[in-house]
Amino acid sequence: MKRYPEVKKQNQRMFLLLILGIVLTLILMSLPLYSFDIGVYTKKSANTFVGDEKYIAARAEAEAVAADYQAQGFDVEISENVVERVNSKGKTTSLVTFTVSQRNSKNFWSFLGKDLPSATVLLIILILMALSVIFAVCGLAGSADLLHRYLDKRAMLLRDLAIAALIIAVLLIPVFILMNNVTFSRQLSLYSSDLITDGKEAFYARMDQFLFDGQMGENIGEVLSGLAIDHSALVWLMMPTLFISLLAAFSIRKGEIKSSLLRLCLYTFVIIVCVITLYPYYVMLITAFRTNAESLDMYFLHMFPTKWIWSNLTDIIHRGVPRFLLNSLFIAGGATALAMLCGIPAAYALARMTFKGKKIFLGYVIMSQMFSPVVLLIGISQLMTTLHLNNTLWGLMLINAAFNQAFAIWLLRGTFVSISPEMEQAALIDGCGTVGALTKVLIPMAAPGIVTALIFVFINAWNEYTVATILISTAQYRPITVGITQFSSFNMIEWQYMFAASLLATIPVVILFMTIEKHLTAGLTSGGVKG
Amino acid sequence: MTTGINRHKWEPYLWLLPSTLLVSVFVLFPILIVFKLSFSEISQAGVVGGFIGFDNYVEAVNLPAFKAVMTNTLWWVLSVVIISTILGFIIALVLNQKFRGRKIARSILVFPWATSLVIQASVWNYIIKYEYGSLNNVLLNLGIIKQAINFRSSYQIEFIWECWVGIFVTVPFVTFCVLSGLQSIDVSLYEAATMDGAGFWHKLRHITLPLVKPSLTVSTVLNIIYVFNSFPIVYTMTKGAPAHKTDTMITYLYMLSFYERKKGPATALSVIGFLILCLCAGVYMMTVMRKEEQL
Amino acid sequence: MKKMLSLFLVLALALCAVTTVFADDITLDVIICQYGPNTNNWFERGGTGMDGSNFVEKFEAANPGVKLNLEVVSWNDVHQVVDTRIANGNAPDILNLDTFSEFLPDNLLLPVKEYTSDELFNDFFAAFMQDFLVDGEYWAVPDLASARALYYNVDILNEAGVEVPTTWAELEDASQAIIDFYDGEIYPWGIDMTTDEGQAAFAYYTWGNGGGFTDENGEWALNSDANVEAVEYAIGLVNAGYTNPNPATQTRYDLQDMFATGKLAMMIGPNQIPTYVKDKGGEINMATASLPANEGKTSASVGVKDVMMAFRDDSVEDQAARNEAIGKFMTFFYDPENYVGWVSMEDFLPAVNSAVEALVAANPSFEAWLNVLATCKFYPTSKAEWAQVRQGVTTVEQNALTGADVRAELDALQAEITGK
Repeated sequence: MKRYPEVKKQNQRMFLLLILGIVLTLILMSLPLYSFDIGVYTKKSANTFVGDEKYIAARAEAEAVAADYQAQGFDVEISENVVERVNSKGKTTSLVTFTVSQRNSKNFWSFLGKDLPSATVLLIILILMALSVIFAVCGLAGSADLLHRYLDKRAMLLRDLAIAALIIAVLLIPVFILMNNVTFSRQLSLYSSDLITDGKEAFYARMDQFLFDGQMGENIGEVLSGLAIDHSALVWLMMPTLFISLLAAFSIRKGEIKSSLLRLCLYTFVIIVCVITLYPYYVMLITAFRTNAESLDMYFLHMFPTKWIWSNLTDIIHRGVPRFLLNSLFIAGGATALAMLCGIPAAYALARMTFKGKKIFLGYVIMSQMFSPVVLLIGISQLMTTLHLNNTLWGLMLINAAFNQAFAIWLLRGTFVSISPEMEQAALIDGCGTVGALTKVLIPMAAPGIVTALIFVFINAWNEYTVATILISTAQYRPITVGITQFSSFNMIEWQYMFAASLLATIPVVILFMTIEKHLTAGLTSGGVKG
Repeated sequence: MTTGINRHKWEPYLWLLPSTLLVSVFVLFPILIVFKLSFSEISQAGVVGGFIGFDNYVEAVNLPAFKAVMTNTLWWVLSVVIISTILGFIIALVLNQKFRGRKIARSILVFPWATSLVIQASVWNYIIKYEYGSLNNVLLNLGIIKQAINFRSSYQIEFIWECWVGIFVTVPFVTFCVLSGLQSIDVSLYEAATMDGAGFWHKLRHITLPLVKPSLTVSTVLNIIYVFNSFPIVYTMTKGAPAHKTDTMITYLYMLSFYERKKGPATALSVIGFLILCLCAGVYMMTVMRKEEQL
Repeated sequence: MKKMLSLFLVLALALCAVTTVFADDITLDVIICQYGPNTNNWFERGGTGMDGSNFVEKFEAANPGVKLNLEVVSWNDVHQVVDTRIANGNAPDILNLDTFSEFLPDNLLLPVKEYTSDELFNDFFAAFMQDFLVDGEYWAVPDLASARALYYNVDILNEAGVEVPTTWAELEDASQAIIDFYDGEIYPWGIDMTTDEGQAAFAYYTWGNGGGFTDENGEWALNSDANVEAVEYAIGLVNAGYTNPNPATQTRYDLQDMFATGKLAMMIGPNQIPTYVKDKGGEINMATASLPANEGKTSASVGVKDVMMAFRDDSVEDQAARNEAIGKFMTFFYDPENYVGWVSMEDFLPAVNSAVEALVAANPSFEAWLNVLATCKFYPTSKAEWAQVRQGVTTVEQNALTGADVRAELDALQAEITGK
């Protein structure tokens, strides 16, 4: 075992930093970070003007209540609010509101030991911080002057544990804040407006225990309805201070902060992108399995269906959805095959051959995309009538193939151009024909690009809607996109069926993509090996 | 870029034949009909009358909402194409790194692309509803907000939402175009550059960008066209309300044709849109391809 | 080269796929709009909504020699589908829609007398038929109708201590009271000025102020003083915060949803609202009243009636046989045995006398609605400019919502409509 004095010094510094971060966090926790503004009493008085009899009476009432609370040792104050209005008959009305409120501030320690979800989280954070210090101390003992690669397994494990504990502690801080928000504003407002009644009394008892040490007793229901919670910005300071410790712990292990930070950023970025992307699908999923009534959750009570209604699925199956899916599969599959059969040779010629009119052809193909199908409907419909392809799946398939030509050709040309032509030239010299060079050499090498083009064409054809509404007039030929419209009619939109059908329409495409993704990487490696 | 493997003068044209046939029959023909219609009188029920010269065009340009719709369209195309190209490029760079769960992340990213626009727009329309939308639901239940927020309090904000949905569905397309370009880059190029001491930005500028450029060109040109012609998002979310203030050209001409029943100007407008697109895409293609030849 | 060969094969195959037509039978193309969740299942071949069978199969069994190519199209797409077909010269034979006047200038429609028997013709509500009389001919027949009324949440109004408003001033006071009582949590009044229904809002308020789309002579009078005042009043309700916040994009569906869950106190809606609320699982205590009108003006119920029409087809040799086939369709459709099921399934009101008895027997509340229907005012759908007017008033409302001057907007619209 080699010992390095400079390594020892560095490790000691890091250790100090770790302790400093944790101490700072503990100090922050002792500051009064949460304030609770509690309207203990509200008096509304209609048709009352400032200074008149009713006003004085109401004010006296509010003051009596305040005095009562002060006698009990609560620190309260009175505020008043006046709203004046003129009604349609020209009469002025005025509404005076008196509020008796109490301010209450809490630091983190006052959460401990209280029967609240956030208190549990706080406890876990503290335990993790303590564990982290313990692990770091044990891990350092006797190995502080070693390079990371010389550490024995035990020391390494301890250091990893210290880091893991800290990471979780850092991530739990926002959870703690969220939980307080949920408890003190969301849950409270649901209970006090009677939208949820299960466990109301137990909840109120816990609130009383936390805010007034259980002194409020029966008044608690009335008092809580006026509660407003505010957390100071200092709460968020806990994250960076703990984060300093985290970085220190990382550096003890790795000796390199930058790469670990980059890794962290990468995962954070990917996770954020994925969450945003999946969000509409979460909405689709929960709505698809809700009852019709619950799809209109006006008071935002539930994030998930209270009961998963699987019969929504069977209902839409009885309304023709499987048939529509098959039609879509046939149309999109056929269109993709056709678009590729026409597109690959064209892209090959564009990428590899010299000839006059190349640009004209490219321009021509791209120009074919510049009208929205909505505009071309009349022409398409006329053409299909002439060709006797109206109301057939074949017609829709040909149209989709044609409208995706530009796409396929451009994407494929881009891929072919980016591949060096040397291999094909070798094949040509070996005596392969042009067709041979294309199918045996270029296509395997360009596999990723071809698969991408394939997916894109398939998805475009699968999702085509406008032309299908015009061309298909028989129910059993409808593709899924048109089939879905039957769930929104003159009388109502059946959100749950619409989203269930949408889900069924999306899943096959996603599964298809996932299977092809493998080939995409496989095509890559084979290309890499040959290259 | 060319290799001179032609054996006969006519060979390239044979390779192009199937594609040309397909496009000419099924796309060019309808396009020609639209051109013809734009110079014809069309009744409000859709019956096509005789040739009337440029009357339809004059009427289209003089429509009261014409200017506002054109400005909207410009904003719509620019914001969606530029933002989604930048975002898509960044995401592609990240997804090209090796990390655990990369496959899952890629599969997830294809979701918005794999979903039909009509569905996508309906879902977002449902998400941002004030009274029972899912966004308010989630934010409230997570305790992030304390009161439901009206996410569509003015038409400007509604238009921004429409742009957001446009970006949301366009990003995967750009990402996968760039990814397919990135994957055909030889890894040894990067290794050599790293050996030479090149930094991240240097490698991005001198290796990644030039090699991804063909893919990026494709995605940008096609995006300009698709976004310009995109119909379901605006139509599903606002139908152009209030009074065409959130309409783009394509939804406006649809409203014009089927709601206001001014079919002549609507057709003329579609040809004007076509010409604008040809101009933009043409200029872009020319500049890019000229550079490509210089490479 | 193999691939190319197969391509040509595919193309050739596709071109050969010619649809077969039976020479002896007459095939009628029919387009029906989608009214509710059951429409497809009731009408389309293969469906089971009509006593285990469907309209097409039952019709063909009862009328050998006539085949139906019937398509149910959603309201969103129907204009696009129909107009495209017309532009191509293959208009449907029978069409179900909400208007018919846009087809008149091109002489596309077949006069009703050509295909209906006297018996059927006399069965239609006479008041309805009056609206389909243009230049001495009837061009369409009523398909079904619905009537609009004020629906209100009894509990909300009681709690806030207000009566059902009958005048505009009362409506404002009631709204303010509801806002005050519920701290703005509940919208007092629902307004729908969206692109699909703006004309309805225009009708509710202008008719309640003695104005309307047309004057006594039936000429367009969109910019009358009464109309300006009415639209300004409606916009004022929105600006005062008495309504749902986004009237330009919140559709009738949104209002119905809010009403069903008690978020909205009052709304004007069709007679299907109770069924809708029940379907959505809403448990609210609701009642109907007539629409509030301006002080000193009488309120008018608003009625909507949809139509069935038949198109000309000059390419057919035997016109008499075609007319007879169309007549068979109409007779079969309006036969009480079939028609009653159709109308009651989606909760609409009938348009023929022969159905009334059976409907009232099945559901006594129908009678009250039929009385409302008798006093209803309808949109001037027989006027050729109706499509533009309908869109025009919606645009005016939406512009006004963003701050435009109502009078100037209505003046411009009037000039545009009558200037032609």
